[in-house]
Amino acid sequence: MGGKTKTPITAGNIILFAVTLVIAIIFAFPIFFNIMSAFKSNGEIMRDAIAFPSGFYIDSFKYLLTKTEYPKAMLNSAILTVGSIAAMVVVIPMAAYAIERTNKRWTNAVYIFFLFGMMVPFQVYMIPLFKQLNMMGLFGNLLGPIFIYIAGSVGFGVLLYTSFLKGVPREIEESAEIDGCTRIGIFWRIVFPLLGPVTASMVVLQGLGIWNDFLMPMLVLPSGQTKTMIVELFYYVGEFSSRWDMIFAGTTMSLVPVLIAFLSLQKYFVKGVSSGAIKG
Amino acid sequence: MNAAAMGKRKKQWWRSYAIWFILPAFILYSLFVMLPTFSSIYLSFTSWDGISENIRYIGLDNFKEIWESPRVHNALKNTIIVAVALVLLENVVALLLAILVDQVRWLRNLFRSIFYFPVLMSGIIMGFIWMIILNYNFGVVNQLLDTLGIGALKADWLGDPDFALLSIILSTVWKASGYYMIIYLAGLQGIPQELLEAASIDGAGKWKQFWHVTFPLLAGATTVCVMLSMINSLKLFDQIAVMTNGGPGFATETLTYIIYRVAFGEGRQGFGTALAIVLFILILIISLVQIRVLRKREVQM
Repeated sequence: MGGKTKTPITAGNIILFAVTLVIAIIFAFPIFFNIMSAFKSNGEIMRDAIAFPSGFYIDSFKYLLTKTEYPKAMLNSAILTVGSIAAMVVVIPMAAYAIERTNKRWTNAVYIFFLFGMMVPFQVYMIPLFKQLNMMGLFGNLLGPIFIYIAGSVGFGVLLYTSFLKGVPREIEESAEIDGCTRIGIFWRIVFPLLGPVTASMVVLQGLGIWNDFLMPMLVLPSGQTKTMIVELFYYVGEFSSRWDMIFAGTTMSLVPVLIAFLSLQKYFVKGVSSGAIKG
Repeated sequence: MNAAAMGKRKKQWWRSYAIWFILPAFILYSLFVMLPTFSSIYLSFTSWDGISENIRYIGLDNFKEIWESPRVHNALKNTIIVAVALVLLENVVALLLAILVDQVRWLRNLFRSIFYFPVLMSGIIMGFIWMIILNYNFGVVNQLLDTLGIGALKADWLGDPDFALLSIILSTVWKASGYYMIIYLAGLQGIPQELLEAASIDGAGKWKQFWHVTFPLLAGATTVCVMLSMINSLKLFDQIAVMTNGGPGFATETLTYIIYRVAFGEGRQGFGTALAIVLFILILIISLVQIRVLRKREVQM
């Protein structure tokens, strides 16, 4: 049954493979279609959507990179993703550590309070948040979304880290404490390195979510210098409604980093899913 | 006594570090999640337009309007259609893909990656690609139907109210199934091989083995996937924004989409928050049911 045993190839094996292959082709087609179309001129796309590109047409890439704000938007997306993730990885494990190790009534109350946030979808609080950012002077500022991303992942992140911390023995921390280490030192030098697997799935899962996010950045970074790549692309769909080549070039450029990250960190992506499965 | 006093001093010391460790997360979470959530509850009883300074309290009028408005009913109906269709289709497709990947003899990892990759795409990009694939004049689907000589089946997949929601549902199945596939795959790989062998010795065919051994043992994965796909389907937004913008007319407006349109397109933020509260209650109920079901299962095991 399993493919690893050296049993002779049966007709069943071949049929199953053929079926899987056909489904895989259907699944891969839209992505293939996107990348292929990015190298076709607009006329070519309109004439025959399925045909292969006749040459290696890269004018739409050139145009996007030199004549539009697309490079700026790519940079904004990168800053937003890296900045939020870096802050999350500092703020959330520390809180989770204090909650798990203290384990008193007040920390348990904080824990429940944090978990409650997992049930609140963004749409529920986005309307007042919009006004609130305006009042705080964070509207149209990349710092606003960074705060919102950290805040939004506290519930899920604390849950992940605390459940992992339950399996981390306290003995090392206790002996370090006797040796006169400070709490901060104990946490960053001893505990944090042990949390690697959780941090990896957090980084992968949340990083992808932020890179791909649309609604929040569109609302709070709507125009000008701070637009993210996905928001920029969304506006192109309206703006360049007849210039599909341009949009295909843009979507291809935004997919490339995701593809690279996926191919190099596949293990963490798959693990991230199973840890994400407990997210409500 | 000495030990007790030491314990007390130690407790005080623990306490102070814990506060400082928790504080940053606590402040950000309170300020950017809880505060606006409570503002939402308050605003849902007002007729605020999002701009004016004075916010007028109107009691339950917003909720009364939700109860009576045909447009909201339509959005709720669409939300339910989307949720039911997505839960069924995504889980069936995901389970099928998981079985294929688990059983196929060659290129297993490649297949898994191909089925999983759409999960990693932004809903905006995925929506745009499908918008063009489904385009009436230049799209791949209609071109394919023409080539096959069944041009009569051609349709304006996103412009026709009869097909627009279906198109969004099917393209979302394409995007999301890979996620649940990974969860089912983990479940399949956790099934002891001896059980299946025993069943096959007892004369059970492949189909019987699946129904009587594999499927019941996947119950845990199924519960998780059904709940997750339901909550995710309620949050569906990006695809609708780029593919149809809720149209044609209101044909693809769901609860999440109507909140956005009413609040930011029509300047009715009070009404928008009231709709958001309805969405919240819906998600809360599903989450609570989920927790109960999962707990029950834990007890049984």
